[in-house]
Parts: sequence; C-alpha cells; structure tokens
Amino acid sequence: MLEAVHLTKRYASLAAVQDLSFSLRAGMVLGCLGPNGSGKSTTVKMLTGLLEPTRGVVQFDGHNIQDNLQAYRKRLGYVPEEAHLYPYLTGWEYLEMVGTLRSMASRTLETKLDSLLELFSLHPHRHASIGTYSKGMRQRILLIAAIMDNPDIFIFDEPLSGLDVASALIFKNLVQALGQQGKLVFYCSHVLEVVEKVCSDVLILRKGVVIAQDSVANIGQILGQSLENTFLHLVDDVDTMSVARDIVAVMKAA
Amino acid sequence: MISLLTDPIRHWWEYYRQRPFGRMVELFVARIFRGGGDSDTEGLDLGIGLALTLLALPGGFVSILLLDKYGTLLQWMRGTLNLDPLLMSVPDEYFFIVLSMAVTGAAAVWRWDAIFPDRRDYMNLVPLPISTRTIFLANLVAVLFLAGLIALDVNAASCLLFPMVVGATQNKFVFFAKFAAVHAVGVVLASIFAFLAVFSMLGLLMAILPPRALRRISAYVRGMVVVYLVTLLCTSFAVPDKLIRTRGPLPPWTLLFPSCWFLSLCQSLRGRAGPAQMELARLPLPGIAVLTVVALGCYAIGYHRHFVRIPEIAAVTAPMPRRSRMGALLALVLQTPFQKGCFPFVWKTLVRSETHRLVLTGIGGLGLVLASQALMNAFAGAKSLHQAALSPEALSIPFILTFLIIIGLRMVFEIPVELRSNWIFQLMLDADRQECQSLARKVVLTLALPLVLTIAFPAYVYLEGWRVAFLHALLVGIWSVLLTNIVLIRFRKVPFTCTLPVFKQHSIVLLLSVCFGYLLYAISTPEFESAALAEPLRMIGLVPVAAVAWFVPHRLDQSTIEIERKLIFEESATRTVEALRLSD
Repeated sequence: MLEAVHLTKRYASLAAVQDLSFSLRAGMVLGCLGPNGSGKSTTVKMLTGLLEPTRGVVQFDGHNIQDNLQAYRKRLGYVPEEAHLYPYLTGWEYLEMVGTLRSMASRTLETKLDSLLELFSLHPHRHASIGTYSKGMRQRILLIAAIMDNPDIFIFDEPLSGLDVASALIFKNLVQALGQQGKLVFYCSHVLEVVEKVCSDVLILRKGVVIAQDSVANIGQILGQSLENTFLHLVDDVDTMSVARDIVAVMKAA
Repeated sequence: MISLLTDPIRHWWEYYRQRPFGRMVELFVARIFRGGGDSDTEGLDLGIGLALTLLALPGGFVSILLLDKYGTLLQWMRGTLNLDPLLMSVPDEYFFIVLSMAVTGAAAVWRWDAIFPDRRDYMNLVPLPISTRTIFLANLVAVLFLAGLIALDVNAASCLLFPMVVGATQNKFVFFAKFAAVHAVGVVLASIFAFLAVFSMLGLLMAILPPRALRRISAYVRGMVVVYLVTLLCTSFAVPDKLIRTRGPLPPWTLLFPSCWFLSLCQSLRGRAGPAQMELARLPLPGIAVLTVVALGCYAIGYHRHFVRIPEIAAVTAPMPRRSRMGALLALVLQTPFQKGCFPFVWKTLVRSETHRLVLTGIGGLGLVLASQALMNAFAGAKSLHQAALSPEALSIPFILTFLIIIGLRMVFEIPVELRSNWIFQLMLDADRQECQSLARKVVLTLALPLVLTIAFPAYVYLEGWRVAFLHALLVGIWSVLLTNIVLIRFRKVPFTCTLPVFKQHSIVLLLSVCFGYLLYAISTPEFESAALAEPLRMIGLVPVAAVAWFVPHRLDQSTIEIERKLIFEESATRTVEALRLSD
C-alpha cells in the first residue's frame, strides 16, 4: 500500500501542498484532479521521491520511501507530464539505457523492448533519433519506459498528452488492466472523462489542499452530477460560461 | 549632447520595432544568440550582453599583455632603443587579425544551426499573415546586422587598446590615429570575411544537399572549420616573420591563409608592403565581394530548398540499422547497471551532441597542431629517423595528445545537455553510490589509451624495438591514469546532466594549474624520458613522482565528507555569507 501521510511542501513561504493524506491500495486506480497550481505536480514529485516533503511522509508498505529510495524506485513506473528525452538518442537506445539502469537482464530487456515497441507501433522507428519523433511517439516511449520492468506502482502525470486515438484507447484499457492485476496506479489528468472512465477513486485538489476524496461513483452520487460538473462545482471560482461570453466580446471589440 | 544624438535613433528604433518586419529582425537576432535548432538545449545559451562581452575579451586581454613589449621604460631598461614600432607590431597585428577571424568564425560555427530559420520558426511564423519572402529578408537583415555587430565587438578593444600600446612609443597623435585606422580596417574586414566564409559554406551546403545529408555532413564540415581556425591561430607564431622576409614572388601557401591577405592590406595602407605583399593586399576586397555574392545566392537557394519546403520534409527519418560492435568489449569493462547504463549515454552524447562535438573537435584540432609542431621540431634537429624518434619532441606527442584529451573531456563533462531530460537519472540513480568518478575515468581512458596502444606503441616497435615501445607506452599509460585521477578529484555528477558551473573564484588558479600541468606532463616528462630511455634504470626516478600523483587525489577523496560525495544535478554557487535560517 502507498500512503501519503500529512504531506506538506513549502517553497519558501508558499505552501504548494498542505497536509495531504491519502492511501493507494493494490488494485486501486486513484485519479488526481485539480486546476493549474493546485499542487498536482508537487504531489507527484513527492510520490516519486524527486522532491522531499517539508513535512509528512510517503510510505510504501509501511516504510518511509526516503529510507530506501532506490528499492522503492525499482518498484515504480513513472510517466512525467512533459516528454523531456534526449533527442540525439534513438528510441531503442533510450529505452535500453533506462532498462539497464533498472538492472534488467539484457536478454529480457531486448525481448521486452522488441515486443513493446511493436505493440506501441514504434518498432519501425526504433532506430531513428528521438529528436525526429512526434509528441505522441515520445509519449509512447515514456510509457514503455515506465511499464517495461513490470513495477508495482504506476504514477502517470497526463499520460495521454499527444497520443493518437488508438494509442489513447489502448492506454486507457491498459490502466484498467493494471488495476485488475493488483497494481497501484496514481493517475493525474485534466481530462475528466478519462479519469471518470479509468479510475476507481478520485482525489480533487485545490490550492494545495484536498477538497474531495472518494470513489468516482460516490462523488457523483453525493452531488448527483457528472464528474465534470462535480469538479467545476468544487474547484472553480469562476462562472465559465460568463468568461467565455466575455472572451467573445473582447475578440469582437474594435 | 549625447542624448541629442541617441534620442532620434531610439525613437526611430522604437517606431520600427513595432512594425512586423522590425519585430521579426529582433526575433531572429535574439534566436541567433539564444540558440536555435529543434533541440531544447540549455545551459550554454548566453544572454546577448554576456555573449558580446565574452567575444570582446580576448582582444582586450592580448592588448594589455602587449604593454610589456611596447613599454618605453621597459625597453630602455632592456637597453633596446630606437626601435621601429611599425616593424615591431607586424607579428602582433597578424595575431589580432587571426584572433579576429578565429573568434568571429568560431561564433558563426557555434551558432550555425541558428543562422537559418528552422522548423520551429516555420511553425510559428508561416501561419501568420507574413509572406515567406518577408521572413527571408528579415532573417537576412538579422544575419548581416549580427555580422557587423560581431565584427565591431570582437575588435573593439583591440582597435582602441593596441594602437594606444604601440602609440605609446611615439609622442604623435597622428601616428596613433593612422595606426588605429589601418588596424581597424584590417581586423574588421578580416572578421567580416570570416563570418561570410562560414555563412557561404553553410549556404552552399544547404543549396546542394538534401536535408538528411545536410544534417550529417554539416557536422563534419563544422569540425573541419574549427580545425582550420585553430590552425590559423597557430600560424601566428611563424607566418608574419616568413611573410616579412619574402622578397621574391608570392609564395603559394599565403593564398591558403586569408589572414596573410589582411596583414598585407594593412602593410600596403602604411606603405610598408613589398611586391609580394602588394599582390596579396589586392585580394581582401574582391574576396569579401565574392563571398557576399556566394553567401546571398546560396542563402536564397538554401532558404527555398529547406525552409519553404519544411512541411514536405518528413519529420521522422527512416530507420537506421542498429550497431553494437562495442557491446561485448564494454561488457568486460562495465560492471554495474549504473556504468552499463550511463557509459553509452556519455559516449553517445560526446559523439552526437553538436556542442560537445564542436568543443572536442576544437581541442582535437589544437592537439593536432601542437603534435605536428612537435613532430616537425623532432625532425628539424635530428640526423636520422632513430634520433628523431628518441628526441623529447617526438616522445612528447602522445603526452600532448593524452593531456588535451583528458583535460578536454573533463571540461566537456561540465557542459550540460538537455537539462530538462535529466529527470530520468534523478529518478533512477542512487545518489549515495559513488560511481561517477569511476564512470568518468572509464570514458576518459577509453578515449585516451587506445591512442597510445594503436599509434605510439606500433610506431615505436617499428622504429626502436619492443623494449623502448613498451617503456614509452607504459609511461604514457601510467601518466594518463594519474592525470585522469587528478582531474576527477571530487567529481560527483553524471557527465552532462548537471547545470553549468558558475565562475568560481579559483578559476584563474585552475587555469594556471592546467598550464603548469601541461609543462610537467607534456614537456618535462618527455625530456626526462628521452634521457632515461638510454639507461632504463633512470626511469625509477619517476616512481616517487607517480606515487605522489597517485597518493594526493586518493587522500583528498578519502578526506571528503559523506555529503560532498553525493551525486548532484545542480551546481550551487559558493556564497560568501550564508544565512542560518534559524526561524525555519
């Protein structure tokens, strides 16, 4: 089980995340929603161990992840928000490097890479440099890098960004399958429909604080609305319709 | 008074930069300075102000260093009176011409990818209501503006300081003014020539090559230009003297070095040129005119072939065959996942990252020039091949090359590449495992030692027999390992993944140490070796030196506290005053 216990992260005097607590059990797909600046990325960075919390701990199976970060990361698959990759490496070389750093046996690594690249339709481009890849192709490289070592925990930060329809559908089914396999999945996204479809539970953040946390079905039931309306109800201070009308008015102004 | 002059220009510029064309020129000027290309390279993108300051520095420094040569008091103390300042200044003027060409050429090569608009510009500008012709003209104006700016900036300090230094020998302002004017004409034209030469070369490649071939071949061409510029810089020690002494017909080699043309132009403007120099002095202006025509023509064709057709050029290149020839060999050397994962990364960055490859090519070029000079010196004083091979100069060649490779690689390791992509290392690597030194050592020695084993060893086996070859290779090998250990003291980063180090207070000391190290490593050791090879027992004299060179880094590493051994991804500046933050 992955637990965030009273996580707080401060940048100087600004609190990006305050007293955040939740738990992620095996088989659970927890969606994380929140507007820009709500603390999603900071939370993800603390969960991956890239950022140390100012207060609180992240625990995996009852142990603080900071005590043995390497062992924890060996069991972690992470897809960051932006596909920053080394453009002069080929897709194959990049994945081979990640696999080697994960201490995967070279034969297993090669076999898995071949199959995964084939399944993600990247096999014909595996020896082209990443610099020539489209955004979707880079995203698929990140996905392969995250799943190839069969980790127990998955942290996906906007994983569908740039993916074509077919790849996005495959990925959504993959996330559900991972949950059924008993993996722990933490899924950050802006796309409410996807979160509604693939996640079993949802966590809604606003200004660094959890404002709602329950199963997707329960959250909808409580307010009697879709997840999108629930999200807008809980998070947004603005009347989106009136903002849209104002934008059109400014656009038309001479 | 000054504001009366500057205000109209400022108002004109403010008005003009609000227009689409002015805005685009401004955009292109900024992108040429701050980087271009499709990659998101960070770290070495300097601001315009800093870049211009750095470009101006060499000329200023060299001028100040020449005070020692031209100071009348010092000359009087040396007993040298009634010297001809114009004759005295010829080698220095040549050096300034060469320096101006090298710095401008290097700046143009450095920004090679940013000179032409690329895919990113296409995606941002073409959807706007601007014609591609306007984009072409705006970029051209930006390039020409920068050519002028760089030419003035690179030479500004030397145009003022050098004539002042030389003029200090005379009491006449007219002498200073005339000297300064001629010097300025020479160096600024040389700068423009160098920029246009690089620009035409790039334009020519774009005009004749298809995009994929251009990417591959331009890397080699840039490398060759860098080697040529280094060679040009190294000619400053010998060429002026030879040129002045030329009495007969024009030596053909002078045509290969445009720096000679510009020196001759300066000499002819001062009325000091001989017949051969007069002939050379006729070349610079037509040369610049031809280059301008070629550059503009090729740029127009290249623009049409590459920029206008960007959407037709497939973004994804065809698959390339996989190569893994080194795999089996590396498996023996690399033991841990850290080394197995990071070694290929470091190696591929060195080979494929243009910035790193350029810096390494420059260092390689310097190495080749120094090594060829050493070889020429070895043969100059020798009566036989055998004697030449055992001379300190010949023996110094592998020392020179390994020294430059080791120091060069250490320097290149500091240049970051795609910093935003280093998250994968931050995520995967154990910050407490101290393997960076070992990784860096393996990379350095993999590049440096084969040189000794594949060139120096067989050459000496053939020339001097097994015993000398073995001793020479052993000494170079041991010295390389010891130097590598010294330069990697407290190295705790994966090469290229850390921010660029800030200028430290001890950088000057570091620079002096490198110069001193070069003297010890590449000059003194071969001299000792040359004497010791006759009686190999003398080699024992080097054992204490080696022991100290091994012990000091070893001891320093052992005394490093745990926190300072941790892997880092960010270089922090050393603060003079540190806040304790007790309230946090």
